[in-house]
Amino acid sequence: MLRILLIDDTQNKLGRLKAALREAGFEVIEAPDLTIDLPACVETVRPDVVLIDTDSPDRDVMEQVVMVSRDQPRPIVLFTDEHDPGVMRQAIQAGVSAYIVEGIHAARLQPILDVAMARFESDQALRAQLLARDQQLAERKRIEQAKGLLMKMKDCNEEQAYTLMRRQAMSRQQKLIQVAEQIIAMHEMLG
Amino acid sequence: MNTSPLAWLNGSDAPEKPSLDIGFMALTDCASVVVAATQGFAQQHGLTLNLKRQGSWASLRDKLASGELDAAHCLYGLVYAVHLGIGGVPASDMAVLMGLNQNAQAINLSPALQRKGVTSPEALARLVHQHGAKLTFAQTFPTGTHAMWLYYWLASQGIHPLHDVNSVVVPPAQMAAHIQAGRIDGFCVGEPWAAAAVAQGQGFTLATSQSIWPDHPEKVLACARTFAEQYPNSARALIKAILAASRFIEQSQENRHSTAQLLSGSAYLDTPLETVEPRLLGAYQDGLGNHWQDNHALHLFDHGRANLPYLSDGMWFMTQFRRWGLLRDDPDYLGVARQVQQLALYHEAAEALGVPCPALPMRSSLLIDGNRWDGSNPYGYARSFRLHALGDTPDARIGL
Repeated sequence: MLRILLIDDTQNKLGRLKAALREAGFEVIEAPDLTIDLPACVETVRPDVVLIDTDSPDRDVMEQVVMVSRDQPRPIVLFTDEHDPGVMRQAIQAGVSAYIVEGIHAARLQPILDVAMARFESDQALRAQLLARDQQLAERKRIEQAKGLLMKMKDCNEEQAYTLMRRQAMSRQQKLIQVAEQIIAMHEMLG
Repeated sequence: MNTSPLAWLNGSDAPEKPSLDIGFMALTDCASVVVAATQGFAQQHGLTLNLKRQGSWASLRDKLASGELDAAHCLYGLVYAVHLGIGGVPASDMAVLMGLNQNAQAINLSPALQRKGVTSPEALARLVHQHGAKLTFAQTFPTGTHAMWLYYWLASQGIHPLHDVNSVVVPPAQMAAHIQAGRIDGFCVGEPWAAAAVAQGQGFTLATSQSIWPDHPEKVLACARTFAEQYPNSARALIKAILAASRFIEQSQENRHSTAQLLSGSAYLDTPLETVEPRLLGAYQDGLGNHWQDNHALHLFDHGRANLPYLSDGMWFMTQFRRWGLLRDDPDYLGVARQVQQLALYHEAAEALGVPCPALPMRSSLLIDGNRWDGSNPYGYARSFRLHALGDTPDARIGL
């Protein structure tokens, strides 16, 4: 059973989604509004999906959403009465699936949550891959830089410099990038 | 399984998936995988390799089959057992991307047998046949290479591995402890664990695997077939990175020495350098006072000869599964090997690095019992042995 953290951020606290969610067979854990520390709440409750029901997604709401996306990534679905396309665009950029609450029926909730979760997973995978690529590029640059310094210091060619760095790294049970950083740091210190 | 979200971005041969989880077991022959991951070889080919050390071959197999690991340092035979559905998991299409090494496994006997003077193959055969001793031997996985070397060697000495002795499975690093506790009388394992037992005074090496088959196939880089199909660029880049690392290791004695230092670290083999290094460099001592420089010690590269995924190497393991009744019927030996061995990917990777590729995907070898294996007649070869279990059903003693 899906575990849903439902935040009712509407003024009238009508609980308009709660009944529909329970009816659709979800486990619903409620939070009163967004005065809570949302990342901490997500950490304790460990929901599969965070669902925010709000009159209008203002800056405070988006701030909380961005924090969760950063620290406790979860699929987030936002239901709102706001019809302003600009507000919706902003919400989507912050990493949430946003829907206008008007006319939402229990039967439509399951596919909406499925889509939100699938999209979340592919976003996460994409993010991890991009991160890996960035890190690789950064490490390659540092290793190249260290290799260049070593070629000057030892008056050797590229392959010899690589071999020297690798032997040093392996004999200390370190990674090549660690030895590269040491060479760069040493060079900076000696100016 | 989804295809990579980045696949559409890459026109070229850039890896579709740049960050890979790679399984390995704490064994000397994982060297080129560890060096590729940590010494900048993977980066040069657009990959980040996250090394995941495994505690047993069974858990490595499960994670490889489930996709939790993208690829792994793996026993040759294990890949074929998973592909053919022998053992604990349902059949699942597997792929061999390249060979990782040849040689460097060993069969050891216990100090108790040593004290009894059982220090030669003949003495062992006498003990088994004339005194009716039912000894217990450990290997590392029921369909793995160590089970096959143990069986082949015992049979070559006239000892039936399924009828005359008991077989148990023990994870590689625990062999010496099991010998010490008296639970097993001998074992077949990869280095450094045979050398470690000798160093700890826990018995001696009776036979090296290279004495059974000089330059035998051993570990491979394995993945699920879906991985090779969905991420062909990642698979090719991975082969390139590991092939380049294996070439680097064998470029000089200093590089081999540094490799031994790296491997002995706690994140990898977690074993003293004095235990890891000698046999990695081919310097053997057997614990009986004999020393020699082995011409067929660990080969991680050997100018690419250790890395080509020969069809005949893959087929050999299937002939032995058939011989010992692990397969009740003959598979389509050549057809299965063609599916599993990723020769095209390997050729592309080797060519890009300028590593020579033998023209034929078959090789011919003479084994310890005088039988020649060249891949030409697997059906006949599986039936050519005096000791076998062709008619037996797989039984409980070998853990299946």
